[in-house]
Amino acid sequence: MKTQEFIKKGGFKMKKVLVLMIALALVFTLAACKKEDKTLQMLWWSDGTEGDVMQTLLDEYKEETGVTIELNPIAYNDYEAKLATMISGGEAPALARVTEGHQTNFEESILSLEGVFDEAGFTNLAFNSDGDVMSLPMDITANGMFVNTDLLDANDVDYPALGDTVWTWDQFETEMMKLDGQSGVAAPGIFDHQAHRFMALMYQNGVTIWDTPYSSSNLKSAAAVEVIDMLIGFYEDGFLPRDTYVTKNSASLFRTGQYGFHLSGNWNVSNYQDLDFNWAVVPMPQNSNRATILGGKSLSAFDGSGMEKEAKAFIAWMAEGEQHDQYTGGVPYLTPRLGATVDYGVFDDQYAVFLDEIGNTDAKYVADWKLETSIPGMYPIINQFVEDAASGEYTAIALLTQLEIDLKAAAE
Amino acid sequence: MKKVIVIQYIVAFILVLLFLLPVIYIILSSFKPLNELFSSVPTFIPRQFTFDNYVKAINRGDFLRYIFNSFIVATTSTLIAVMINTMAGYALSKFKFKGKNVIMILILSTIMLPLSVIMVPIFSVLKFFGLYNSLWALIIPPAATPTGIFLMRQYLLTIPDEVIQSARIDGAGEFRIFWSIILPNAKPAIATLAIFSFMWRWNDYVWPLIAISSPQKYTIQLAIANFTGQFGTDYSSILAMSAISMIPMLVVFVIFQKQFVQGTAQTGMKG
Repeated sequence: MKTQEFIKKGGFKMKKVLVLMIALALVFTLAACKKEDKTLQMLWWSDGTEGDVMQTLLDEYKEETGVTIELNPIAYNDYEAKLATMISGGEAPALARVTEGHQTNFEESILSLEGVFDEAGFTNLAFNSDGDVMSLPMDITANGMFVNTDLLDANDVDYPALGDTVWTWDQFETEMMKLDGQSGVAAPGIFDHQAHRFMALMYQNGVTIWDTPYSSSNLKSAAAVEVIDMLIGFYEDGFLPRDTYVTKNSASLFRTGQYGFHLSGNWNVSNYQDLDFNWAVVPMPQNSNRATILGGKSLSAFDGSGMEKEAKAFIAWMAEGEQHDQYTGGVPYLTPRLGATVDYGVFDDQYAVFLDEIGNTDAKYVADWKLETSIPGMYPIINQFVEDAASGEYTAIALLTQLEIDLKAAAE
Repeated sequence: MKKVIVIQYIVAFILVLLFLLPVIYIILSSFKPLNELFSSVPTFIPRQFTFDNYVKAINRGDFLRYIFNSFIVATTSTLIAVMINTMAGYALSKFKFKGKNVIMILILSTIMLPLSVIMVPIFSVLKFFGLYNSLWALIIPPAATPTGIFLMRQYLLTIPDEVIQSARIDGAGEFRIFWSIILPNAKPAIATLAIFSFMWRWNDYVWPLIAISSPQKYTIQLAIANFTGQFGTDYSSILAMSAISMIPMLVVFVIFQKQFVQGTAQTGMKG
């Protein structure tokens, strides 16, 4: 039987199917025309309790203003891809938690917040190419040293304390190496795998990456070579294990209770609240001077959400002292709000160390690190450099020469 | 002869063990405390058996809702996929019309397009139809898949044309033929397609990540991924929820096991 005949035979039923398909298409088209939902979307990721604290604030905001803001938690690894697709697809979120890198990468889609809040009341501000502020700083992150005091005390290992003469890295390594080979110890300690942590070593040896931004570097100086030699030595001596690059999750390793120290940052103060051993934050060692690397998260409003006005109104509300302090104190986080007196509760001692680290960091190191984070692509290059150093396959000078070439290429 | 069979069984047993080992390791690891999970000397069987990972993970989200969402998406999408792919396979295997082969090649060529390339256009289509951030956004786009159409076409080619022609002579319409002859005869292929489709939708992560924004509509895979932060990953919770998320897949496989094996053998499909 030929096709035409089949169609003829089943013609009546085919019409029914066609009608059904048209009806379905109409339903979807009508659905497309339905009244837009007035809920604002806020993209978010969490490392600890910050999502819960923000949700409490969003509930309070709804109670005060009647405006609903929905928190959309996204896995950090896919955060940028999600944000990019939403913006490209014309469905930008009204608000999103952002890093320095996100602000660089999505600058064109981020709304100017000029006049939305009092900029003079905050530090760690980010500006777009027109010089307009583009986000509300929500917290400051700083590097810091966590120690497992139970493990150290049990093995008679001494550790620095706030108010002591600041230890040198040599002194710290010698003391911590007493843990090597002890029962219940996997390794003396661990560093986070991110460049933020390792580059603090450079600054603690008095080295800034750039002499003249993006054209002349200090990377091949004797001081830079010295500090990378020291880093390579850390892995060769067994002071740091190479496991960090397998799991890329030093916090989980420290949680096992088998490591004496963890070079990380203040976000782990909230993350480590549930540990079943005693721990403390102690001053980081130094070579020639003290230094920590600052970072932070901010809140930006996005163009194309259809809720730009409402998003700015929320940021203005969030910038008010009461709400902002509730966030930084609730997590807890270091506050970027100038003059704020955040109550860190039971973590006052830990935060005192972080504030001391920040107070002893020269502004030139803060400025130098901003040069790296404001150029897309530089951060992954530094991460790779650190991973190569940890591998023990390259000399310090070879690594630094390659780093200089790669950073200059990224700047171009 | 007996010796050959014994060797076959031994080889099969080793292969099964090889494929099952990672799954068993995940399940066993989900019962290990954190210090054992990250111990420098890994253990296979937990030295210390704990349910803490499950308790912690379940308390960190509305996991019953996420599992329910995944179930709705996977079952609805599978039902629609079975209907659409079987109909398309039927048309491409049993009807003669101009451009049939070109259409088939075009359908198959879409396999070569990675999702990342078509992500933004599909997202725009979803937005146009008002489907963004609804479970329909996870059900409709993958309803017709080139793999599914190919699988059904290949299987339906094995049904003799004479059976269909006899039905037509007896006065059966096209939908009667499809419903009463094609569907019952295609059971093994349908079971295979159903299992694959359910598995694809259940395990899908990238598309829900893009198409859904409200936590109330999250699928289990999206929720599990949220245990990853900027500075670390909560592996113990991921392991616990991954172990739970395997259960529906196992149930579906156990139900359709016989048809699945028959279908994969007859269509040449492999997982």
